[in-house]
Amino acid sequence: MSDIQEATNQLLDVNLHENQRSIQMTESGPGSESEHLQVTIGATVPTGFEQTAADEVREKLRSSCKISKDRGKIYFDISVESLAQVHCLRSVDNLFVVVQEFKDYQFKETKEEVLKDFEELAGKLSWSDPLKVWKINTNFKKKKTKHKKINQNSSKEKIDNGQGDKRDEKDVKKEFTNNALDSHILDYYEKPAIKEEISTLVGDDLASCKDETDESSKEETSPEVLKFRVTCNRAGEKHCFSSNEAARDFGGAVQDYFKWKADMTNFDVEVLLNIHNNEIIVGIALTEESLHRRNITHFGPTTLRSTLAYGMLRLCAPQPTDIIVDPMCGTGAIPIEGATEWANCFHIAGDNNPLAVNRAANNISSLLTKSQTKGKLSCGLPIDAIQWDICNLPLRTGSVDIIVTDMPFGKRMGSKKRNWNLYPACLWEMSRVCRPRTGRAALLTQDKKCFTKALSGMGHVWQKVHTVWVNIGGLHAAVYLLKRTPQAFVHPSEQDGGRTPW
Amino acid sequence: MKLLTHNFLSSHVKGVGPRGFPLRLQASEVRIMPVEFNPDFVARMIPKLSLGEVPTEPIQGYEQNEDFLRTMHHILLEVEVMEGTLQCPESGRVFPITRGIPNMLLSDEQTEA
Repeated sequence: MSDIQEATNQLLDVNLHENQRSIQMTESGPGSESEHLQVTIGATVPTGFEQTAADEVREKLRSSCKISKDRGKIYFDISVESLAQVHCLRSVDNLFVVVQEFKDYQFKETKEEVLKDFEELAGKLSWSDPLKVWKINTNFKKKKTKHKKINQNSSKEKIDNGQGDKRDEKDVKKEFTNNALDSHILDYYEKPAIKEEISTLVGDDLASCKDETDESSKEETSPEVLKFRVTCNRAGEKHCFSSNEAARDFGGAVQDYFKWKADMTNFDVEVLLNIHNNEIIVGIALTEESLHRRNITHFGPTTLRSTLAYGMLRLCAPQPTDIIVDPMCGTGAIPIEGATEWANCFHIAGDNNPLAVNRAANNISSLLTKSQTKGKLSCGLPIDAIQWDICNLPLRTGSVDIIVTDMPFGKRMGSKKRNWNLYPACLWEMSRVCRPRTGRAALLTQDKKCFTKALSGMGHVWQKVHTVWVNIGGLHAAVYLLKRTPQAFVHPSEQDGGRTPW
Repeated sequence: MKLLTHNFLSSHVKGVGPRGFPLRLQASEVRIMPVEFNPDFVARMIPKLSLGEVPTEPIQGYEQNEDFLRTMHHILLEVEVMEGTLQCPESGRVFPITRGIPNMLLSDEQTEA
């Protein structure tokens, strides 16, 4: 368990027991009821992994989740004291506090009427509790660095590589213990869960703001007018209005109501208007930047979101001392997520491409630097990187417990034609190194046809247990969870060089 | 490369099979990286290792022997080979270790078809 989680647990006086995972909705609050504010938090998660995220919420926050029909979102209730812990969840991308939910909103007939309703809606909602949560949350969230001026969709590679180096330097110079809010790289490890540190945080935040380039003052510095924006996401066929129109009119009303200033790029408050058919959720964003940007400082062409990596690893239910291998690791997103969250396992990252292996090694170093600036004494991580060929792994037969990898889709990496030979060879070699009976694999691919064909000839070593349908940058991909059968791998005779899978 | 990883590596040169373990390690540069001691981790990892011809009797009760576990912890997790070579004991093929990363790629003739 990370220091943050240990500290949070002490604060909340909560004991996490394995056998209590099945208990529904037991809100174990702290001793005092002073600030016992209950809120509903919404979280966006990689589509397909809603259940995994719900499991994590149940395990870490002891709260049950509602999985929305609007794919990729889950909702759960917490006491506001658990807010810091919410930011420590590994399976969620973005967080927001729910202002109001309309399960079956009645849209009027014409666009004018609908938009007028939205305008009137702004004044009717109960904003005070969510805004309280938003205020408390400003101490916990990772701040977006000002001079980048990006939104979550922009390309990460260029920006992050540059930022990475700058950030590391800065952090070494500053004497932080665990309060580096201004850093893009230092992620949730730096979010304290201890109330006494909030004031220190605010102080550091002020200090760090002065270091940042120019621009808008934070809300803590003076009781200035807040800046806000409204983001509207609309899905559904029967709507007679566009998301822009809704955002504009709802935003106008919000501005009139609160007397805030509208600012689309440098905002303090982001109001969310999520419309999915007849379901409307109004919320306030709690994350400025998606939480999936953690871990990786050196991005590659197809770097996997850390939240997705977490979901895939979690599917395999890692046990203590499991050997977890990613034989096509690329930038190492999966093993690195594994090494941080499942530190009682051993992770091996491998790739044939020297660029990829170097990136993975750099990302591991960044992670080590991160934990060093935290003041942690132990700086080694249970992870190693190796350059190898997936079709001929230099690993002992039956020595690996879990294989988790993002296979080349054949789009940005490799080709569909190449997959035809690669996939069977991969599956075969993976079945050799994977431990019979208890071993398992979670394999992500968009080339489902090729994968299914390759798997069909291997029923004696691999059994498909579960499939999670996911969306990767618009591509419909799948994560196949496989179980290694008890059948031992039969070594081909040493004279025979062939190990053909067909 | 940690020594724990070394224990899982085996030569994949054509025709070598199980005789490719263990790879002969020569280290020219090593660093020690402290890692938090977790006795459970070490104790449970030991059965997964391939330790060759080891008499079983003296090993019994190792889970409680903290000195033994600490030594194993240090060897397996804290010693990192930064520069050196790994050599296949059967074929003699040498694999370099650079900046902590072993390069286990084989040329075509040496792979299984």
